Amino acid sequence: MFGRSYKVKRPAFWLAVALFLVSFSLIGYRVLRLGYSLLPTSSVKAWGLTMEIFFEPTGRDGKEIELRAGLPESRPGQTVIELKDLSGSLQFNLLPEGLNQIGVWAGNPEEGRVISYRATVLLNPKRLAKPKPPGPESFPAIMADESEQALARRLIERWKSLDASEKLKTIGATAKGIWRNPLPDDNDLKQWSEIQKKYGAEGALMILLRTAGFPARKVQGFVLVESVATQANRWIAVWTGKRWTPMEAETGNLYPESVRLLPLMVGDTPLVSVSGVKLQEVRWGLSKQTLSKWLTHFERIRRSTRFLERWSLFTLPQEFQENFHILLLVPIGVLMISVLRNIVGFPTFGIFMPVLMALAFRSTGLGYGLGIFAGVVSIGYLLRRGIDRLRLLLVPRLSFLITFVILAFTVFALIGSKFGIREFMAVGLLPFVILSMTIERFFILMEESGASMALRTAAGTAAVAAITYKIIQIDPLQLTFFIYPELLFAIMGLLLLLGNYSGYRLSEILRFKIFRGKS
Amino acid sequence: MIFRQFLSLRKAGVLGMNRRNTQYIMGYNRRSSFPLVDDKLLTKQLALKKGIPIPPLYHVVTHHGDIAGFERALADRQEFVLKPARGGGGSGIILITDRRDGKFVTQSGKMISRDEIHYHISDILSGIYSLEGLEDKAVIEGLIHPDQVFGKVTYEGVPDVRIIVYRGVPAMAMVRLPTRQSDGKANLHRGAVGVGIDIGRGKTLNGVRRSGSITHHPDTGGSLRDIEVPYWEKMLLMAAQSTDMTGLGYLGVDLVIDQKDGPLLLELNARPGLQIQIANRKGLLERLEMIDRAPKEMFLSPEKRVAWATQSFAETAIPS
Repeated sequence: MFGRSYKVKRPAFWLAVALFLVSFSLIGYRVLRLGYSLLPTSSVKAWGLTMEIFFEPTGRDGKEIELRAGLPESRPGQTVIELKDLSGSLQFNLLPEGLNQIGVWAGNPEEGRVISYRATVLLNPKRLAKPKPPGPESFPAIMADESEQALARRLIERWKSLDASEKLKTIGATAKGIWRNPLPDDNDLKQWSEIQKKYGAEGALMILLRTAGFPARKVQGFVLVESVATQANRWIAVWTGKRWTPMEAETGNLYPESVRLLPLMVGDTPLVSVSGVKLQEVRWGLSKQTLSKWLTHFERIRRSTRFLERWSLFTLPQEFQENFHILLLVPIGVLMISVLRNIVGFPTFGIFMPVLMALAFRSTGLGYGLGIFAGVVSIGYLLRRGIDRLRLLLVPRLSFLITFVILAFTVFALIGSKFGIREFMAVGLLPFVILSMTIERFFILMEESGASMALRTAAGTAAVAAITYKIIQIDPLQLTFFIYPELLFAIMGLLLLLGNYSGYRLSEILRFKIFRGKS
Repeated sequence: MIFRQFLSLRKAGVLGMNRRNTQYIMGYNRRSSFPLVDDKLLTKQLALKKGIPIPPLYHVVTHHGDIAGFERALADRQEFVLKPARGGGGSGIILITDRRDGKFVTQSGKMISRDEIHYHISDILSGIYSLEGLEDKAVIEGLIHPDQVFGKVTYEGVPDVRIIVYRGVPAMAMVRLPTRQSDGKANLHRGAVGVGIDIGRGKTLNGVRRSGSITHHPDTGGSLRDIEVPYWEKMLLMAAQSTDMTGLGYLGVDLVIDQKDGPLLLELNARPGLQIQIANRKGLLERLEMIDRAPKEMFLSPEKRVAWATQSFAETAIPS
């Protein structure tokens, strides 16, 4: 008799194990087969490039205009992970052209005076970059007539015995008029300075380098330092057998190893060219960015045909992704509540009040949020005491409190707007129904169990909300759940185990302190 | 560190909230049986059927339209108790000791007008005091005149005896004594004093108030120890029968002792609190586990279960 118990311990345990298995095998698949980073949230350095082209139409109305600009592309040593046309008024197309990635904007001139573009470029460590040896197609013919070429050969002849890197430095130095011994005769030097005038320093260097047998090409782009520029850097990329060595075009200096360059255009094509409009100014901006590693998966995931990647939250439009960033926090929050209540033993008003508070704190901030919460509850409590003698029925009474809470929100928001306190204006995100119920519960607890119990419960609620807020504010945790939504299975498993936890609560150590040491 | 603390609680046989909920309440109390104890009216009907004595039921108000009729139902009774059928924690209960010129005198001597009583009944009916805010019924029953055994350790109000019954076996008991702070109510969370009762001998043990231990009543100064509870065997038997009556395997039984009628069943609780362990300075888990190990024949009748309990749970040594 009465011996039958309805426990379901074992099945809950095995169900939890099954949920963990599902969760971890999906994560394992992503990590091992799809190459996700196991620590997807560790950050990497990246560069943000912005380009703005200001122009003025010159042609007649209705004439099509076209602007072309060299844009960064993924190549050894760099990955373009985001690329965005921000102007939107002209039609934007990407056009691979030889070694370059050309952005083409075309359309009706009435639709804009400015083009704005942004890219995020991830730099891979130099040692991992395996540059491609040059193919013959990528080199311009030597731009010089027979006698000029003969002169160049004479000059180079003298450095035949030098090794490649030494020879490169020596050639570079000529741009500044420094000639290594043995010096060429004066006549040759004079003739060469003519050539330098004719082709420019860059052109003269190209002739020497090509004559010396170095594959070399002109590059326009930027040295990666945080800056705003209206002119691109120019350099010559010289193949020295293993890698491309950049040589500054005007001075012939070799860039030190530590300098990183972002090439935008290879060859003689101007970096920005237009038709039908007058170019006024081009402005580039370079800024350092710290990105989470998962962003680096972004481009790839979007293009992937793998099942799990096609079913990734990344495929959602941006505005709906935001929702999920927040929704996925709720399970973390309720897990926290379960732990704090059933293992630690915090007393709280209502079960999920603290989670909703924690979510609201994301807009109000912790300090303001707690302050507003305390303010509304205390004034509400006084009001509740005041209306107690009016003997209102339950539903109208709670509705009265809700109306009061909304009124209080309105006042807070207006005060916020008056004094420019944004946090006050965000007050509308606090969970008002639950706040009203809290006032009612607080009042009843005050009446029935006294102030100390009511205040303890209020403090417990605030503490749980604050702890939950701190946890859901951890960005890496948010991102991890966003990339691996299958972690929700693991949370379900944890909740099943917690639901079966029959051990003591931490608070019971205090509650039953008279048993301490007794057995 | 924390684990050691847990271990020492476990060694003392303390029952924690989580284990009470998962293993005992969820394990032994069917959800479908909860209404039997949450609604005091249903409990009363069951008790009447089983022959367990309860305070006399005068009248039940079910509809707002019937409120005015309650005085007719009272006839010439001068004293009564007005309470919500589904109230929790002692809220919404009014004790009336006299009627004068159409007014009502409460136990604390306050005069209440007829209108105010009507209001209160209306509040009860609309569920203000009910556990889930559901519509409720107002119960009007006989006033208890508590036996004077606890007279020296009671400040107003009615002391009640709480017995935890597990699988029909009385496992632990205490008496709850109203204090000035608890406003004459016998609820521990309101500041009433809890005093453990030795199940074997029916004598009081130590006192506890707000989880601190005490030896004398804070208002009357009377000693809490070694008070002999009258009708003890009968009360244990009533408690044991409550399980047969409701089918709830883990139950808190609240009894009062009336001067004239002896022990009466006041109400039952399907989620009894854990404070009783502090009042007894004994872990409940230890006793529940002893009951689980008891021979099967013991469970056959309430009498056998009571006999087993008085023998097994008698305090052998007098704890300090």
